[in-house]
Amino acid sequence: MAGVVLEDLTKRYDGGALAVNKLNLDIRDGEFVCLVGPSGCGKTTALRMIAGLEEITSGEVRIGDRVVNNLPPRDRDIAMVFQSYALYPHMSVRDNMAFGLELRKTPKAQIDKAVVDAARILDLERFLDRKPGQLSGGQRQRVALGRAIVREPAVFLMDEPLSNLDAKLRVQTRAEIARMHTRLEATMIYVTHDQVEAMTMGDRIAVINEGVLQQAGTPKDLYELPQNRFVAGFIGSPSMNFIDLKVSQDGGVVRLTGEGAEMRPDDTESALLRDLGLDSVTVGFRPEHLDLATLSGPGLSVTVVVDVVEFLGNDELIHGSSEGRDVVAIINADNTLKVGQSVTLAAPSRRLHLFNPATGLRVAEDGASTTGGVANRVTTG
Amino acid sequence: MSVQAASLPVTASPRKRRFRLRPSRIVLNVVLAAVAIFWLVPAIGIAIISLRPNASFEQSGWWTVLTAPAQLTFNNYQQLFSAGFKPGGVLDSLTTSIAITVPVTILVTVISSLTAYSLVFGRWRGRTLVFLLIVAMLVLPLQMALIPIASLYKVFDTSTGLHLFGSLIGAIIFHVAFGLPFGIFLMRNFYSGIPHDLLEAGRIDGAGEWTLFRKVVMPIGIPALASLAIFQFIWVWNDLLVALIFLGNSSHITLTMYLYSWTRALSSNYWIISTGAMISIIIPLIVFFAFQRYFVRGVLAGAVK
Repeated sequence: MAGVVLEDLTKRYDGGALAVNKLNLDIRDGEFVCLVGPSGCGKTTALRMIAGLEEITSGEVRIGDRVVNNLPPRDRDIAMVFQSYALYPHMSVRDNMAFGLELRKTPKAQIDKAVVDAARILDLERFLDRKPGQLSGGQRQRVALGRAIVREPAVFLMDEPLSNLDAKLRVQTRAEIARMHTRLEATMIYVTHDQVEAMTMGDRIAVINEGVLQQAGTPKDLYELPQNRFVAGFIGSPSMNFIDLKVSQDGGVVRLTGEGAEMRPDDTESALLRDLGLDSVTVGFRPEHLDLATLSGPGLSVTVVVDVVEFLGNDELIHGSSEGRDVVAIINADNTLKVGQSVTLAAPSRRLHLFNPATGLRVAEDGASTTGGVANRVTTG
Repeated sequence: MSVQAASLPVTASPRKRRFRLRPSRIVLNVVLAAVAIFWLVPAIGIAIISLRPNASFEQSGWWTVLTAPAQLTFNNYQQLFSAGFKPGGVLDSLTTSIAITVPVTILVTVISSLTAYSLVFGRWRGRTLVFLLIVAMLVLPLQMALIPIASLYKVFDTSTGLHLFGSLIGAIIFHVAFGLPFGIFLMRNFYSGIPHDLLEAGRIDGAGEWTLFRKVVMPIGIPALASLAIFQFIWVWNDLLVALIFLGNSSHITLTMYLYSWTRALSSNYWIISTGAMISIIIPLIVFFAFQRYFVRGVLAGAVK
């Protein structure tokens, strides 16, 4: 096993398009890191550069102690699971799994044992002599995982391995990969566009947008302390709500109002807003942190007209609008709201996230949001 | 029958329905049978002529054999084969045809396959341009190149002292050169359908380009390779023009040249021609039946989602 270090990793295509821009990430030995971001953000390109399938424009990839920039994929001691499974259609499951070991001239007895062991782990023993065409999608994906396992590589790379599976299989295979990680204690880099997958599987998550690393941290870090508006909006389901409020001062008291909402900042937020001298601020609040209540202490209250009510069982998902701005809330299903009803929702101050509307960066106590670019402000370890 | 079918329980009807002849199916079968007869009658006629005593050709039509099967004999074959492998004989011509067709088929198949691999999976600049040039060569008429290349061979022979013109090698080179554009075109289009993920998976598994070609791409490409091999074999096997130009002065002639040499303006030796034609048909038929099992659809099933 080995850690992976990406240093200023950059990919610029011939046409000039910048797919990955100075990506810095330190992945520890045995860690499960998810690269997450919207389609086309550069996460798969980054993974392919680690794998050696994509040429590196500049920067460095280290696996263990070795710089692997110029090594072909076969010498990087990695295994990769592809989104499309990429199984050899003319080979049986057994041969698919054994192929890598055969090429490495592993003794036959050892290959047989490795294949049977992997098949047992993945419940594929019955299918060893079948061809991929005779398997279901879930079974094929397990074969792809098995092909990676038998190699016992230093690093596992996975490129959206679950995206072709139906919802039920996805949950099952997700658990299978998590178990596999625990059992093998292997370094895994997992690419997905699904933040739920990233949140549930990763020890750490690296959020990428337009080729730039936005933030890297534990799922809890990203959920509770998103460093910019993109991360705040990307992590969490349903997405965070945002409202732009005007900042005003009345005899030293800071007031934030606008878009049918009002915010009473606590002392720390007041001091921060006074120091930064911002005219307006974007306030982010998660649907699950809103409640049907009147504000008693510091926090945000927003009046919305209910557009849609989705019954979720224990809760209701409320889609509403506040002066043209969409607001989503999850509230207890006991509160029977009706479409067209006007309600006041509130969130306490500790659940609010303030962002500089100009830069999109979090308004932090150290004042970091007002200067510097996003890439320089990420947490990488 | 329809009354009986209607009275059957619902669960049994699908089984019965399979045997019910719908009017559209009857029409289709009649048309197919007519086409099959249209194509088969001349071949059956030649086969029968080759099996009748040569004297009977001018006395009665081949179809009379249907009423008197006892006329059939292998004498014509025995007579043709009795000359053995003498240059200009049928067995020598058969050997010459095989000696040209087999290497051409193998070379065109292998070179096309390798070139197509490079054009599809290689990472070099100008691949598309090269492919377009190859496609452009497809429209070049073979007849237009015969005389210039024959002259080129002669210049080559004069300057090197070698003997390309009039030799089997010369004919093989010509056939390979003119078979490659189509072969590359066919294989390139087939390989384009192979997901690149498969090769990338192979590279990560530890395969080099040669191993990828041999163990991943070639086995998947077998249906296309089989088609190409059959087409190429039949084209070269049936060729007369190239053989006449490049082997016209040679003592070893192809089977098509042998058959052509027996055609006359007024009185041809039909018994020789039909017997030779039957011998000529047998080899491509063997090739066809040997390769046709590789025409398996959906060979990529399960490779990717």
